[in-house]
Amino acid sequence: MGMNNPVPLDSVDDILRPSADANPLLDRGMVTTSLDALLNWARTGSMWPMTFGLACCAVEMMQAGAARYDLDRFGVIFRPSPRQSDVMIVAGTLTNKMAPAFRKVYDQMPNPRWVISMGSCANGGGYYHYAYSVTRGCDRVVPVDVYVPGCPPTAEALIYGILQLQAKIRRESTIAR
Amino acid sequence: MSEPAKPISELLSDRFGDRISIGASTKGILTVEVDTSAWLEVCRSLRDEEEFSFEQLTDLCGVDYLSYGQSEWETDDASSEGFNRGVEGQGPGRFNWADRPEAEDLEQRFGVVAHLLSFKHNRRLRIRCYAPDEGMPIVPSLVDIWSSANWYERETFDLFGVVFEGHPDLRRIMTDYGFTGHPFRKDFPLIGNVAVRYDPQKKRVVYEPVEIEPRVGVPRVLRDDSRYKTDELDQAAEAAAGEAAVNGSAAGEKED
Repeated sequence: MGMNNPVPLDSVDDILRPSADANPLLDRGMVTTSLDALLNWARTGSMWPMTFGLACCAVEMMQAGAARYDLDRFGVIFRPSPRQSDVMIVAGTLTNKMAPAFRKVYDQMPNPRWVISMGSCANGGGYYHYAYSVTRGCDRVVPVDVYVPGCPPTAEALIYGILQLQAKIRRESTIAR
Repeated sequence: MSEPAKPISELLSDRFGDRISIGASTKGILTVEVDTSAWLEVCRSLRDEEEFSFEQLTDLCGVDYLSYGQSEWETDDASSEGFNRGVEGQGPGRFNWADRPEAEDLEQRFGVVAHLLSFKHNRRLRIRCYAPDEGMPIVPSLVDIWSSANWYERETFDLFGVVFEGHPDLRRIMTDYGFTGHPFRKDFPLIGNVAVRYDPQKKRVVYEPVEIEPRVGVPRVLRDDSRYKTDELDQAAEAAAGEAAVNGSAAGEKED
């Protein structure tokens, strides 16, 4: 009571609640939907991120995953292996020395895969833009879907970024073209 | 026990004489400059002799004394054009790899500083020596005396290019594989000389010459953006206001 448990703005599992117009199948306990909607529902409901904490942003990422914000509610469960991951959250400063390893981890992720760039350093080098050892943005190495600004972004901002990525995935169509 | 304890500076100067020179004491840690030729010998004595008993080396680092004491950011004049700080200077943020300045001849350009700790006497000490040749700075390694010096000396070698004679494994420790130069030297450009990106054709991360320009010295206030074109903007706004007034009065007449 009294605690603010944030409610996702958009209904995540909306395909299971088709519109309320008279649908005889619904009365029989059946649901019809498009395969794309089903796929996207499955994908948005279980985005398992590759744990890729590189710097202080990782602490905010942990905060987002911990009890108060609880990314598990969105089906986001951190994985220690790229083979089991759908999305990579680049949380922190990507250095030149790390870049080949970072790309290798991305290459090891199975399709479909997404990347969230978290924080100023991952977005464009940030504070270290003019430094000799830092990659000026992780989009020089992998394609990025969502950029979360901030230094570091708050846990709320990261969650907003994850919701934005869900919205982006919902717009994709795999079967119908 | 009857005799009051001598201060560490006296102990040191009595023991080592002109091989060392006592410097300032900051926050209770005395700084002692040691002759590079006596570096190993003095350190071994500092560890082994009962009155010193510095059992542990807690830190070791390098110092580049090029442009030591010079400041780019001191302000001693101001005008309508701005402050005069940062206008001149040769700091690492002002040049790229090709234009890096030739380091002037400077005796004792590279220093090596070590921090020692004695549990026995609850005492700390800072010792410093200078590499004799600034072109190829060589300092004896302390690994045989304090094994904790191993990675510190690798770090100092990596960042400053100080070679530690007698080190068992003097490799780079922090910078990228195949890195060129020693980034903490004052004549190393801040932006470095390479940048990485993924090459979709080669399917790997490739290294390219750095494409950005040094930033220090670039004005942070852009004087040619719209905020400074007040004359044009004002004229445009006045013209627009005049037109609106004419149209407005015409519309008002119609309504009547």
